[in-house]
Amino acid sequence: MMLRITKLDKHFGGVYAVHDCTFDIKEGTITSIIGPNGAGKTTLFNLITGILPPDKGSVRFKNQNITGFKPYKVARAGISRTFQLAKVFKNLTVRDNLLLASNVNDAELKKILAHVHYGRELDTLAGELSYGQQRLVEIARALLFPHSLLMLDEPTAGVNPKVRQELKQILTRLKKQGSTIVLIEHDMDFVMSISDRVIVLNEGTVLTSGTPAQVRKNPKVLEAYLGK
Amino acid sequence: MSLAAQLAVNGVIAGAILALVASGFSLIYNVTKMMHFAHGAVIALAAYFAHTFTSMPIAFPFALVLTLVSTCVAGELINRLVYRPLRTRKASSAVLLIASLAAMIFLNAAIITFWGADIKTIRLPYANASIEFAGIIITSVQLTIIAVALVLLLVLWWLMKQTMIGKAMRALADNKDVAQTVGINPEQLTTITFLIGSVLAAVAGILIGIEENLHPAMGTSLIVKGFAGAVVGGMLSVPGAVLGALLLGLAQNLGIWWLPSGYKDAIAFALLFVFLLFRPQGLLGKKMRDA
Amino acid sequence: MAFINYLIHLAILVCIYGMLTVSLNLAVGFTGLINLGHIAFFGIGAYTSALLALNGYPLWAAILGAALIAALAGIILAFPTTRLKGDYLALATLGFTFIVGSIARNWTSLTRGPLGLPGIPKYAASNQTLLWIAAGTLLAFSITIYCITKTRFGKTLQAVRDDELAAAMLGKNTFVHKVAAMGISAFFAGIAGSFFAHYISFIDPSIFGLGDLVLLLSMLIVGGLASVPGSFIGTAIILLIPEPLRFIGFPSALIGPMREMLFALILLLILIYRPKGIFGRVDLQ
Repeated sequence: MMLRITKLDKHFGGVYAVHDCTFDIKEGTITSIIGPNGAGKTTLFNLITGILPPDKGSVRFKNQNITGFKPYKVARAGISRTFQLAKVFKNLTVRDNLLLASNVNDAELKKILAHVHYGRELDTLAGELSYGQQRLVEIARALLFPHSLLMLDEPTAGVNPKVRQELKQILTRLKKQGSTIVLIEHDMDFVMSISDRVIVLNEGTVLTSGTPAQVRKNPKVLEAYLGK
Repeated sequence: MSLAAQLAVNGVIAGAILALVASGFSLIYNVTKMMHFAHGAVIALAAYFAHTFTSMPIAFPFALVLTLVSTCVAGELINRLVYRPLRTRKASSAVLLIASLAAMIFLNAAIITFWGADIKTIRLPYANASIEFAGIIITSVQLTIIAVALVLLLVLWWLMKQTMIGKAMRALADNKDVAQTVGINPEQLTTITFLIGSVLAAVAGILIGIEENLHPAMGTSLIVKGFAGAVVGGMLSVPGAVLGALLLGLAQNLGIWWLPSGYKDAIAFALLFVFLLFRPQGLLGKKMRDA
Repeated sequence: MAFINYLIHLAILVCIYGMLTVSLNLAVGFTGLINLGHIAFFGIGAYTSALLALNGYPLWAAILGAALIAALAGIILAFPTTRLKGDYLALATLGFTFIVGSIARNWTSLTRGPLGLPGIPKYAASNQTLLWIAAGTLLAFSITIYCITKTRFGKTLQAVRDDELAAAMLGKNTFVHKVAAMGISAFFAGIAGSFFAHYISFIDPSIFGLGDLVLLLSMLIVGGLASVPGSFIGTAIILLIPEPLRFIGFPSALIGPMREMLFALILLLILIYRPKGIFGRVDLQ
């Protein structure tokens, strides 16, 4: 069991953002977390990666209790993550952005950038790239960082259709390589085509989970998205 | 016993002065979300204007009115020439802070250039009587300070809570963009805020000038302590800032029971530092959620 | 002859303040810490060096003491303040400067309070020699800081500045990095303070004043953040531009305040019209 979330709780001023959240992530699988806006998906990511401390519950990663670990400790334990809005170091070059993840030579860097279909130079300042290119660099950086679990928060949000296609190809390739990935996504076709498992979050708690086919047929899921 | 009482009274007077300083600063902070440190220099300017105007052969009340007007002009000029261009280019609050420090240094130096660095006084048209009761000495000027502070703060409270302008200011403070959608003109309202702040500064400058005499760096010392009071009481509310300033005045004066009197200022800075670190919302403030 | 001495004097000041600005840039420009306490490190270094020298310690011990005590102050200040956001960090560090100034004014048994410390021994017999030493030290500082920014540690500092959360998610302990940046920049500030004390031969608590802080910020911002050569150029510009005032014929009592008005004005103009400064590569957050 790669990641075990047990009864995670987080509230802000009396309102639960995440409540009694429990699920497992198996090694070598791609799991998508879906749910309407405000369901608590990003908060959940922030709880797992130590950005927010949970009020109750636990996070176990590869049999280590990482609940409440500071973000840098979570990262060092082997979790790599991207954010809802691509976070690159704008005043550093693409090369420096990547080197901070792992100190490899230029050839390796070029390889991983080709992997994500990044089309420009290593020496370009990250701040000068288009948003789509920044997203690719962020993903490349997350891939480069030594990890056993990859967490992607809405990787295709805000990018043009071409980049979106490229991202799908990247994830498909990673899946074939046996990576363990958790992703938050809104693109349903994409989610259904690539996921081994889908977890549906609504109002901070797990509504249901299962294979894409199971989830697609579940009337409660439709209700959650469309309202009663 | 009477020493403690005297110190307490001194504390109330000092607190009233700081409350006047803190109220203008806090008002401007609450509406525009910026730390207008140059407010201290505006207060000092007011004192110097008062000195100049009262030295002229004109009626004392008229001199005070001229002081008020000049101070308002000065305060609004800072808003227009320094802060507005920075707001337009969406400068961060740290940049606004540094700009405000630069403006303060500029004004302090301008004061020395135009008025000289020597100590000046404001001559009153009547004698400053000393009253003694229960072993405590207090002057009529000091009583005036406390009275004026009280009145002004009540007026301010009424303004913020009960008038349309006050409501608009609170709306602007809460959310600038949303306020615009209900027809509030942010720049106009900011100007009004600065004018009210400058009036408070003028009153503070005049009273402090009469009570404590004038020297060019007086603004810096006042605003730092006023700011400390605002932080201690709670920056996010004007009453909080006023309360904090009052408490600070008391703490400073009672504190010298134990510490050498030179450390009065250090007490203020230390309290400021501790609160910024451990309770930045102040005594009355609520913890702001990190967005 | 006198004019040459005047130029040498200016050059020495440019070197000393240049050291101070370059070291501040490490914390502000490269690490994104708006440290308004830097002038306190300068003053702490000056006082430490002066006190050690006046009490019979050799010059090298005075300089080393200044650097280490200043660095210690930097680390101590960093601990509680680096977790604060931008302008609160600025305020807390500003408060620190005021506190230290207040202590310098009141701990008269140590510092002689407002009377200051006179008669501080000079580094070198002639100012010309001192200029070489100062210039050499400035060069050494600049090269060192430049090299630091090119190392993995230096890149991490810049990453912390650009996006602290993303840096943390790459396994970097951002707190330790920030404390280290403050400590290193304070170390250099302490040495600059020592130079200052032993050049002017007299220091007093006014070194902890707001005027000097705004002067330093002007040099830093005019030159540009995250640019080592920018810090040197900014220092030169701010120190040299007001100098012609001396020759225009203003009464000498006014030169000081007019200088202050001038550099405060330059800082405001730069903030409004060209916030990156001349060589700056990042914006002030």
